[in-house]
Amino acid sequence: MRFNVISYLIGEGLSNIFKNKKSTISSLMIMCATMLVFGLFFVIGENVNAFVDNVADAQEIRVFIVNTATDEQVEQVGNEILSINGVRNVEYVSKDDAYDSMREWLGEEAVAGYEENNIFPASYNVTLTDLELNEEVQEQIWQIENVEDIRSSNQTIAQVIRLAKGVRIVTAAILVLLVVISIAIISNTIKLTVHARRKEISIMKYVGATNSFIRWPFLVEGIIIGIISGLISVAIIGLAYTYIANKMSGSDFMEMISWNLLEFKSMFNLILTVYLGLGIGIGIVGSSISMKKYLEV
Amino acid sequence: MIEFKNVSKRYDTGTMAVKNASFRIEKGEFAFLVGTSGSGKSTLIKLILKEEEPTSGNIIINGKDTTFLKQNRVPFLRRSMGIVFQDFRLLPDKTVYENVAFAMYIVKATPRHIRRQVPMVLSLVGLSGKAKMYPNELSGGEQQRVALARALVNNPAMIIADEPTGNLDPETAWDIMSLLNEINMRGTTVVVATHAKEIVDQMKKRVIHIDKGVIVKDDKKGGYDCEI
Repeated sequence: MRFNVISYLIGEGLSNIFKNKKSTISSLMIMCATMLVFGLFFVIGENVNAFVDNVADAQEIRVFIVNTATDEQVEQVGNEILSINGVRNVEYVSKDDAYDSMREWLGEEAVAGYEENNIFPASYNVTLTDLELNEEVQEQIWQIENVEDIRSSNQTIAQVIRLAKGVRIVTAAILVLLVVISIAIISNTIKLTVHARRKEISIMKYVGATNSFIRWPFLVEGIIIGIISGLISVAIIGLAYTYIANKMSGSDFMEMISWNLLEFKSMFNLILTVYLGLGIGIGIVGSSISMKKYLEV
Repeated sequence: MIEFKNVSKRYDTGTMAVKNASFRIEKGEFAFLVGTSGSGKSTLIKLILKEEEPTSGNIIINGKDTTFLKQNRVPFLRRSMGIVFQDFRLLPDKTVYENVAFAMYIVKATPRHIRRQVPMVLSLVGLSGKAKMYPNELSGGEQQRVALARALVNNPAMIIADEPTGNLDPETAWDIMSLLNEINMRGTTVVVATHAKEIVDQMKKRVIHIDKGVIVKDDKKGGYDCEI
């Protein structure tokens, strides 16, 4: 396509937007509103995910080894744990290390006398690639010989994972709802433009315009509305989120879970991509739907 | 150029608009299509434009049978004809120049070609001085000239005019007709559906007379209502 044709088509699309200010603004507002609702769940979801990852890093499975095990057997246990699916890393804590940390924790007197007769077992600190595998991994560790005991706070983990999953499902559901609503709204907006210009469309048809030529300005209109809504939404979400995150940092609640909200910067690219992708996609589908009827001359 | 072979058209409502029509309009010819309203002449025009499909028979345009033409080829068929309507069908928010240039944008003409061609056709229809005016600032006759310029701008092989003088006073109607005649003199085939009896009588052109869907008369140098 030649450049002047492209600029003509884009120009027509832009002028559609300004000719129908009312319907453009109303569809912009509704698209922004739905995008913001989606964005709200999106940032919550991102934070819960990040929190889960954070917890995952802190959460370890401690595997205690029987005191009678030889060095070789201890090494064997380590290798076997490492070979389990879902295990990221194992860190060996020797009997001496255990004694040292106990002494640090409980004080010199409490451990006095145990230096020669070390009753503290050697252990492995196991980190996981995926928290959801916690129980499976534990079951498999139990099968390994010379394992005395396993400690893990899997109760909290399971709850956090459930929460993360829930947020993801709600976000996905909202996304679907947003797409459906927005397509309906934008196709309605463009239907108004198309209807206002049906005479022009019929003239175009008589002069020999192809359907795609007629369709382009309306596609451009839909896409531009989508992009603008995306940009507005990302700005609003960004400002509101940063404000709330600042307010919340240092609050008692955040102290309690010893964690800080993500910075908006880290989500910006993803949320912008999602918004623009949505906006453009919705614009294209919405305007295609609204055009169908008018192209049959 | 335009050939109808035993063409019939029955609308979904059951109306038989055209019954077994056969005629042939040669390249460079000027033909009137006359008949009262409801006689079927509008349907004939629609069949030529492939706005309607014939129920039976074949329509051959520029040597090609359009009966089985795919829908996505229709725009290209229409580019071979300039179309003029009774109600002008100009875009009210575009100037005279833009209305004409619009037809060239649609066929993806280069800007250079547009800048050269549009003033040329505007001077041909006598509207050079009004290029920057809007349709509502023009008289009916002038608006129809713009429509004619738009029809001509892509150098079509034929002009199809559906009641081009229907909304004009007799004097202006004559202007438009003589303009169409002039266009015809330059080699363009012209088909005019009309019921402007006086004009048809005086111009002594070919007249295809349709009545109740039947072509009742095809007179090489006829008047509107020569005896059948």
